[in-house]
Amino acid sequence: MHSDQKYWNPVLETLSQKKLKALQLKKFKRIFQWAYDRSKFHRKLYNQAGITPQDIQSFDDVRQVPIVDKSMMRDVQRKDPFPYGDNLCVSLEAVCEFRQTSGTTGQPIYQADTWQDWEWWAECWSYTLWAQGYRPHDRVFIPFGYNVFVAFWAGHYAAEKIGCEVVPGGVLDTQARILKMRELRATALMGTPTYILVMADTAKSKMNIDPSGLGILKITCAGEPGASIPGTKNRLESAWGAKVFDHAGATEIGAWSYECSAQPGGMHVNDAFFLVEIEDIDTGEIIETPERRGKMIITALDRYAQPCIRFDSKDIIEWDSKECACSRTFRLIKGGVLGRTDDITKVKGVLLSPIAIEQVVRGIEGLGDEFEVVVDKVGDIDRITLKIELLPGMEKRRSAIDQMLKDQLRLQTNLGYRLEYHEIGTLPRYNVKAKRFKDLREHS
Amino acid sequence: MEFDNNLNEISAKIQLLKKTAVELKKLGENFPALEKNIARILASLKMLELNISDIVDLSPDG
Ligand SMILES: [Zn+2]
Repeated sequence: MHSDQKYWNPVLETLSQKKLKALQLKKFKRIFQWAYDRSKFHRKLYNQAGITPQDIQSFDDVRQVPIVDKSMMRDVQRKDPFPYGDNLCVSLEAVCEFRQTSGTTGQPIYQADTWQDWEWWAECWSYTLWAQGYRPHDRVFIPFGYNVFVAFWAGHYAAEKIGCEVVPGGVLDTQARILKMRELRATALMGTPTYILVMADTAKSKMNIDPSGLGILKITCAGEPGASIPGTKNRLESAWGAKVFDHAGATEIGAWSYECSAQPGGMHVNDAFFLVEIEDIDTGEIIETPERRGKMIITALDRYAQPCIRFDSKDIIEWDSKECACSRTFRLIKGGVLGRTDDITKVKGVLLSPIAIEQVVRGIEGLGDEFEVVVDKVGDIDRITLKIELLPGMEKRRSAIDQMLKDQLRLQTNLGYRLEYHEIGTLPRYNVKAKRFKDLREHS
Repeated sequence: MEFDNNLNEISAKIQLLKKTAVELKKLGENFPALEKNIARILASLKMLELNISDIVDLSPDG
């Protein structure tokens, strides 16, 4: 029923940008007032900046609102009301969901959600899944360790809400998951791009199963930007014979962005539920024009227990100049999330983003999916080593691959690399967030 | 747009449901099965408000 409707919300997803902006401003005022009245953390922050809810009348006023970053959230936590501290806007009794960040960049952030906030999470994910073609006839397999990390929890609830049949592939190992998918004839799958590649590799190399024969029609990736990186997307799609879609979300923010079935080479921002601003990293100026990169400052307009207001997500994004073939009016970010400010390092004076290396490696036939980048120092000079795996039977092509890699890397990153070939299957494999970039310079 | 004309009507019905749910919640004190199911209904009604009601009273010029 209704499966011919291509939008989850045919009103909001086609609303003019002018009306979406008006909606964002109205909601920003509402969430600002809410946080000002109920969160000691926010009240203090805004009092220090001399801003009251009455001062917010335009987007210029919004831009005066102080930016919150992770370290500020960490500082207020692990105190009463335990463990959330002064950021909590509801009673502890009203909290029914606990999640936390992975803590890869420091002490984890604890996140409280009420049932309404949890419905909101599922609602945001419903926009994502509907846009990617999920419908009630789908049987969705979720090979995810259901735990304190939000990851695919909300995807699970959204798939249920849409009316899909959800198979929780929790504590099974990779091989058991593949067998279960085959046994149940699952039609859709969710996972990190890294893990979806590992699953395909396991099926082929350890089980003699061709993943493209399993009947998976669509895969939703999240947690890492791979599904928006053309080289990685191609590998995923050809391994599984499925459409692969990107999605972006975060524990402290919510599910803010999704690729639609038109696969426009980027993702739509859910402009009705989030206010996304892009800030120039050097000048702090807000970037409105397309194709200029900056860091994302984001507000979750309808999240209440622990509000996310002008949060520095550290994601690097840029607006796209083109409109999407799907006719959604939600703005597009070109190429998805392009990196993170804390991932981008200077090597030999040049800014290096690991995503650019991933694009090159995954775009070359004959190389395995895994790679590792190590930056160290030889004397005073930075050195980058790229470790890659050569697929079996590719030894004859090694010098051609070598040349292609060097040329492409130079073109994409303006840097030279020492290449180190490893036997297939010997570089580390990751099931969750991959750690392929190692900067040893401080210790060398 | 096919939905523009009846958004007001949809929104009015959402508000009617909400009014009923809030009244039921008051009657549900000391009746967990009533109170807690109404709490879930109210959360779902909030999603309807986010999807529909919030844009009904937007002025066209923003
Ligand atoms: Zn689209």
